[in-house]
Amino acid sequence: MDVFLQQLINGLSLGGIYALIALGYTMVYGIIELINFAHGDVYTLGTFFSLAILTLLGVTGVVTGPALILVVAVTIIGAMILCGLTGVIIERLAYRRLRNAPKLAPLITAIGMSFILENLMLYWRGPSPVSFPAVIPNPDVVLGSVTIQAKQIMVILLAIVLMLVLQVFVYNTKLGKAMRATAQDKDAAQLMGININTTIALTFLIGSALAGAAGFVSGVYYGSTWFLNGFAAGLKAFTAAVLGGIGNLAGAMLGGFLIGLTEAMTTQFISDQWSNVVVFTVLVLVLIFRPSGLLGESLPNKV
Amino acid sequence: MTVRLPAPLRTPIGQAALAFAVAIALPFIGHNGGFTNFLADAGAFVLLALGLNIVVGFAGLLDLGYAAFFAIGSYAFAMLASPQFGIHLPFWVLLFVASGIAAVFGILLGAPTLRLRGDYLAIVTLGFGEIVPQTFLNLAQWTGGPNGIGSLDQPTIGSYKFGFDALPYYFMVLGLIALAVWLANNMRASRLGRAWMAIREDELAAAHMGINTTATKLAAFAMGASFSGLAGCALASKLQLVSPDQFGFNVSVFILAMLVLGGMGNIPGVIVGSLILSALERFILPQGTNFLHGLGFTSVDLSNSRFLIYGVILVMMMLFRPEGLIPSRQRKAELHAADDDATVAAHEQTLYTEAVR
Amino acid sequence: MISSQRRSGAFAAALAATLGIVFGSILTGPLPAAAATVVKIGVDLPVSGADATNGIPTRNGVVLAVDLANAKPLPGGLKFEVSALDDAVQGVHDPAQGAQNVKTFIADSAVLGMVGPFNSNVAKAEIPLTNDAGLVQISPSNTNTGLTKGDDAKKLRTSHPDVNTYFRVCTTDDRQGAAGATFARKLGLKKAFIIDDNETYGKGLADVFEADFKRQGGSVLGHEHITKGQQDFKALLTKVHSGSPDMIFFGGTTASGGGLLRKQMADVGMRDTKYVGGDGISDEEFTKETGDMANNSYYTVAAPETSKLPSAKAFVAAYQQKFHANPGPYSANAYAAAQIIIAAVLKGVKDDGGKLPTRLEVRQNVAATQNFDTPIGRIGFDKNGDTTAPILSFYEIKDGKPQFLSQLNLKD
Repeated sequence: MDVFLQQLINGLSLGGIYALIALGYTMVYGIIELINFAHGDVYTLGTFFSLAILTLLGVTGVVTGPALILVVAVTIIGAMILCGLTGVIIERLAYRRLRNAPKLAPLITAIGMSFILENLMLYWRGPSPVSFPAVIPNPDVVLGSVTIQAKQIMVILLAIVLMLVLQVFVYNTKLGKAMRATAQDKDAAQLMGININTTIALTFLIGSALAGAAGFVSGVYYGSTWFLNGFAAGLKAFTAAVLGGIGNLAGAMLGGFLIGLTEAMTTQFISDQWSNVVVFTVLVLVLIFRPSGLLGESLPNKV
Repeated sequence: MTVRLPAPLRTPIGQAALAFAVAIALPFIGHNGGFTNFLADAGAFVLLALGLNIVVGFAGLLDLGYAAFFAIGSYAFAMLASPQFGIHLPFWVLLFVASGIAAVFGILLGAPTLRLRGDYLAIVTLGFGEIVPQTFLNLAQWTGGPNGIGSLDQPTIGSYKFGFDALPYYFMVLGLIALAVWLANNMRASRLGRAWMAIREDELAAAHMGINTTATKLAAFAMGASFSGLAGCALASKLQLVSPDQFGFNVSVFILAMLVLGGMGNIPGVIVGSLILSALERFILPQGTNFLHGLGFTSVDLSNSRFLIYGVILVMMMLFRPEGLIPSRQRKAELHAADDDATVAAHEQTLYTEAVR
Repeated sequence: MISSQRRSGAFAAALAATLGIVFGSILTGPLPAAAATVVKIGVDLPVSGADATNGIPTRNGVVLAVDLANAKPLPGGLKFEVSALDDAVQGVHDPAQGAQNVKTFIADSAVLGMVGPFNSNVAKAEIPLTNDAGLVQISPSNTNTGLTKGDDAKKLRTSHPDVNTYFRVCTTDDRQGAAGATFARKLGLKKAFIIDDNETYGKGLADVFEADFKRQGGSVLGHEHITKGQQDFKALLTKVHSGSPDMIFFGGTTASGGGLLRKQMADVGMRDTKYVGGDGISDEEFTKETGDMANNSYYTVAAPETSKLPSAKAFVAAYQQKFHANPGPYSANAYAAAQIIIAAVLKGVKDDGGKLPTRLEVRQNVAATQNFDTPIGRIGFDKNGDTTAPILSFYEIKDGKPQFLSQLNLKD
């Protein structure tokens, strides 16, 4: 039982990272029905941006006291801004021209962008895993028989807070309304005076910024990063978005946690080497039997 | 650019025959083993590209896990023609067995997933492409795990054994390509081929026209997968080895890039795209690296950039020439449909004239 | 319509140009060697990507041996050249690429011998090819047992089962794994959890360790395989921790997860659990990646400690002078491998009265190598192609630096 609870915490922490990435997938898919294949690599880029900012700030280990809040805030916000801008640039360069092309076309450019980003990171930081400073103090919080690390609490909390902020933004602000309108019907939204291009760019900005936040969190959580991390993480986060119901913010969060749990439990009760197979089998099964996901409404095949 | 070809070469069959003759002569022009070896491998990738072209180019279904079928075909061959289980079926039988097994898996994966929307299908196939090699790796007691299966049987004709020289493999691959081109070309022109294209252009409309979309799409998946089975046998017997790391996502994308570069849906285009990328990987990048080293840029290694280059090819081609270098006229019209009304009208005019003729 | 025709004309021109480049480059490609006096030594190692930290210093060993050989007067204007290829694809060593590279060497008649590969799974793909072509290859680092011994090795020699073209200067995993088990038992460790990277080398090593550790009275709590590119080991380590082992044995390399795994042990309360591995975690990258978690790690290397060997001093000095860096764990092995090939070629030249020997003659001379002085000791080959001086060294990482502990000569 203790081990089970411990794995629950592991799964939720891992799931928190997936959830943050999944939010970006789900937003972009919700608005332009594109699987932004490069999104996982934007997340990896987020770890490298965070690392660069930390290096600029001279942070190499644990930071304590008031400086901690400042360092964390500056790094997260910086990584979010840089990743957000990257997302906007990718949309402008690779997707906008193809908005009305057959769906195959932007999906192929998305794969191309993913390869390009991966290789740029390879040039930037080399082929080996790169160490990431611990940044936050990491005392163990003992709850009965379970030990939770401060890092794990940070991941889970941050994921939930950002999801709630996003929810409020999308449902309670004018810009959020514009996004929802664009998602529903681009032409009608345009007729209502909404600038489609700006709205879509904004979606990419926010989605990619969340990936940037996920990048910082995962860097701290694992203490390292690698230029190819985004491929598997992105695919699993996409699985999470689909599982929760694509286009649904709460669903992405739920899906992320569920995928994280699936991975941890597979490792505990089956074997680590099968965890990817199990996760991707979940993806295939969900798409076949419930393509609308757990919280999504069924989407008609648009003509 | 108005070079007038002699009359026999103005027909597609004449051109195909010429290309085939050139292909047969090629190993004797280069006259070194490395070049023949390259040709044999490049030929196997042409076969893979032709197979993926049926799925992506003809039927318009984006398959991002094509390497999985390649893996299934290769492992099927390896298990039935090696000391692994002591089974040694004849190569020429296995060629059909392995492609049949790959086709069956194509149907097994396709049957439940083909009603999905295009982009979901892409992700399911991608997931499948991740599951298959990992499963082969994990089931070590049957597949040799990370070691793969080695000492595979070589093809024989009578008492002649293919051995390690690449030349017989090249001619075999050439024969398989001829078969594949003939099949693909006939299918394209058949009722089935027209149904594929109808689905590609508008699935809903195709369904209303009475096309059984599921069966039609399944046929594409099965045919595409079976070609990868042929390529799997050819490459595995030539390399004498299958191992789980030969079938990653990179391979699927490499083959997809061949299609995108050459021209999805167009057989000559796909062949050219495939040859260009193989040559890029094997000759142009290493030679370019040597050249740059000669100029003093010793830290540059272009071969490391090949995936960057594939990425750039995918993006640039889709943005600026989605129909590929050698487009099929019909595909071009579809992919440019969104450009502007004038071009759409022009394309429709072309299609119309073509149809009337 | 006119404009679209012109456009396709331009593309036809572009296409023609591309094809021209393709075939031009093909025809100027690997041409047969022009001058008969150049002897090339093929080098097939992973020199890009995560394996580069090992691959490059190893390649440098060959480069150094060839440079030193050329510095001496050679008969008949003979000159040695290094022909190096990379077997890594997208940053990871790749058997198919290795096989490809070997075919390139085989096609180049100036290549009379090759050094490599680095990884055992690559060797599996290459041995049938060199066996068929009669091209001798010496690996500086392959330790997988089945490459030279038993039925597995016979299966690899497909064309000429009785002619061996594959040799190696390091010892094998059956010895390395067994020595690791002996060593772990000597440290007083009883309960081990085994993790490997599911590659030929890592899994092979881990399997031998498991068998030997059990035979020597240790208990094995479990054996798991990790996945290439895996980042999260917390669930796995939580599972491992629940059985409270004394040690984790890792079969694999730093690049395939050995570093990250060690680092994340801190997160599940296994900071002080001992971590034992093979030569795969002997690179500098390991201490760099794991930081303060590097301590309490132990590993074996299938080679003697160079600083303990007088014959190695000169090598280390020459290496430092040429590359301005310290040799990697396999630089000396690669140097020795190249030395042996060079000596075999020179002997062939002498025996043939100044003519270049054939590949088979070079192979024969390599096979006959006995009591040959190298920086890794005085070595020779047995009938399987394995070194007759199987020496293993043990290291512990203390204060972030590897400390040499002891050495084991399995011949004694």
